[in-house]
Amino acid sequence: MDFDFSSEQYLLRDTVRDLLRRECTPGAVRAAWASESGRSPERWRKLADLGVVGLTVAEEHGGAGMDEVDLVLILEEAGRSLLPEPLLETTAVGAPLLARSGSDTLRAEWLPRIAAGDATVTVGLAGSPYVADATADLVVLERQGALHAVTQDRLTLQPLRSVDRARRLFSVTAELGDDTLLSTSAAVARWAFDHAAAATAAELVGVAGAMLDMTVAYVKQREQFGRRIGSFQAVQHKLAETLLLVDSARSAVYYAAWALANDTPDASIAASVAKAYASDAERRANAEALQLHGGIGFTWEHDLHLWLKRGKALELQYGDADLHRRRIADWIYATAG
Amino acid sequence: MNFELSGEDAAFRDEVRAWFADHREQIEHTRAVDWEAGGEAFERYRAWERALFEAGLGAVTWPVEYGGRGASMVQQAILNEEYTLADAPNRINRLGLGLLGPTLMVYGTPEQKARHLPRILACDEIWCQGYSEPNAGSDLASLRTRAVREGDEFVVNGQKIWTSLGRFGDWIFTLVRTDPAAPKHKGITFLLVDMHSPGIEVRPLIQIDGSARFAEVFFTDVRVPVANVVGRVDDGWTVAMALLGFERGGGLYGPALFNRILRDVVELSRREPRGEGVAADDPDVRRRVAQSYIETRVYELTVQRALTRLARGEAPGPEASLNKLYWSEMKVRLDELALDILGPRAELGPGSPQAENDGGWYGDYLYARASTIFAGTSEVQKNIIAQRVLGLPRE
Ligand SMILES: Cc1cc2nc3c(=O)[nH]c(=O)nc-3n(C[C@H](O)[C@H](O)[C@H](O)COP(=O)(O)OP(=O)(O)OC[C@H]3O[C@@H](n4cnc5c(N)ncnc54)[C@H](O)[C@@H]3O)c2cc1C
Repeated sequence: MDFDFSSEQYLLRDTVRDLLRRECTPGAVRAAWASESGRSPERWRKLADLGVVGLTVAEEHGGAGMDEVDLVLILEEAGRSLLPEPLLETTAVGAPLLARSGSDTLRAEWLPRIAAGDATVTVGLAGSPYVADATADLVVLERQGALHAVTQDRLTLQPLRSVDRARRLFSVTAELGDDTLLSTSAAVARWAFDHAAAATAAELVGVAGAMLDMTVAYVKQREQFGRRIGSFQAVQHKLAETLLLVDSARSAVYYAAWALANDTPDASIAASVAKAYASDAERRANAEALQLHGGIGFTWEHDLHLWLKRGKALELQYGDADLHRRRIADWIYATAG
Repeated sequence: MNFELSGEDAAFRDEVRAWFADHREQIEHTRAVDWEAGGEAFERYRAWERALFEAGLGAVTWPVEYGGRGASMVQQAILNEEYTLADAPNRINRLGLGLLGPTLMVYGTPEQKARHLPRILACDEIWCQGYSEPNAGSDLASLRTRAVREGDEFVVNGQKIWTSLGRFGDWIFTLVRTDPAAPKHKGITFLLVDMHSPGIEVRPLIQIDGSARFAEVFFTDVRVPVANVVGRVDDGWTVAMALLGFERGGGLYGPALFNRILRDVVELSRREPRGEGVAADDPDVRRRVAQSYIETRVYELTVQRALTRLARGEAPGPEASLNKLYWSEMKVRLDELALDILGPRAELGPGSPQAENDGGWYGDYLYARASTIFAGTSEVQKNIIAQRVLGLPRE
């Protein structure tokens, strides 16, 4: 038994962390809030050059041929740095889905371009009325129980404004036909949802970890009543409880990645455990981060709200904690006593 | 990353599982009584310890030179898991095996090791932990039991309290003040005391559940050889903290117990009537059962992560407090859920024909309430996490 990552996996994580520390600063995230597209093709190119965008694409298609376990630490970093680009949609869900269910032609057409950073793919699964990054070159849509892979010429997009303005959401209408059909299998749709939920959980852990670190740093220097507020026990206990939740969430998130990578029988449930636990842990970190920053945290100027809003959005996407609890309960009671 | 047991570990699991299967009868015979009744009942538990010892399962992680197998932490976890699955009896000498033994291996003299380790293993002598005093609980270092040196002996006067197994103890490892002038963490000495010595009086304390599993221990001019000091005189705090490390971290609490409780809770919810149907039809019950599944599963995974680090030789640090805080609080929630599913039936105690499991859920719930107090309260664990893991200022 070895429930840890290899030194290579940590090395890749560190490389991505360094890149994002330079390229995805809070200032850069604010730039994404303000810009027309909200996206930085240069940053995406750098991620692609590192092999991150094509991480889950097979080597024969020009990717790194790695799996969910290799990706999970990187998604955590994407969450930590609030990466605006659609790494989750493209690398955690879209590309693996095309590889799994696409025809040979579709795969040969799209996977090499995705891996090279020349094309992006996003997903709009049942249960989410809006599609993030629907301007992607290819959009996988779930409609009437079927998955379709649709190009822009068949789509009409209506941009919507998210409270987290780095998120670009759209209402999408599509002309679907047999030629756009990717899969009619419920198992495949479920597989896609599990991947999206587990990847979101990984980002949530990153967002929550960043908020916890910021808050710990803040309470170590802010003084009131002639002492550092981090020395008040009421403050210490909140942060200790938050750490316990965030660190425990990592166990769930890493295991879900492994279960999906190995297609274990409990993979769906592992994804639900991860999404439910990580959503709750982030919610707590979100609450304590603002509370312990006091007034300064409530300002537009302070960066904290960038994390607060991303965290809230991720809590709710691909099933909130309650949806996943219902899924788990149904599974528990469906299995024979 | 992988979750397979190695060949060696799988073989160990099979051996242990087979051994428990062969000892079904003894397990049931032992569990038919409560050791707390004393006398023959207690002796059954001692016989069980001896059987484990003879099978080489008494203290598997102890090094071979001390009578163990030098097994890994992973194997210890496997044994714990199988132990729970087999519903095997409570370990009456866990304080000797789990806490004092490993501490003596690090700090004990050759004579102390030779004298005590074999008797702990064979369960010839039962050990108690004499840390807490009436005025020294969370603030352990304010303890006042005095030990004054007279030649080759210490003369001990004072009182310990909440001493688990106090009525059955043969020996007690205890903290005494040897230098009252020194700052409170200095001037403490770690001393092994024979509980059959003149001047020791044990008074049972009845617990919240009516049993007397802990006691007060009074010391009046008890003479203890200086050779029974572990570590250095006045430096007992170091030894005491090392032992607490074994208590909180070394024995990562086994996930199997919580998994089994959850399974029983699910089973209960399927048959406990509620309105027209059963509790499992109630969306609130389902939600809480799902949350309990999530919590027990995450606990199991977190323990596996910690075991991976321990297996690589990393020392259990203050992170052990995260483990203790997690399981103790989760256990209370699990037992509360069971009581809520039982509804008004939950309060029926042992002997009531309508009681579920002879009132066992309530008993488990009460015991869970102690787990957020002993071995460092939840508040103390949070202080440790805040200050030693997050690095927040003490001031
Ligand atoms: C079933 C059981 C078995 C036990 N067995 C043993 C044994 O075998 N040997 C032994 O030595 N001891 C044993 N104990 C004692 C146990 O270790 C103590 O009860 C525990 O350390 C708490 O001490 P206390 O009871 O004096 O409570 P106190 O320390 O008085 O605590 C009372 C409350 O105040 C809070 N508090 C105290 N200090 C702080 C602080 N700094 N910050 C925030 N909150 C604080 C506590 O968290 C608690 O909620 C046992 C206890 C129980 C319940």
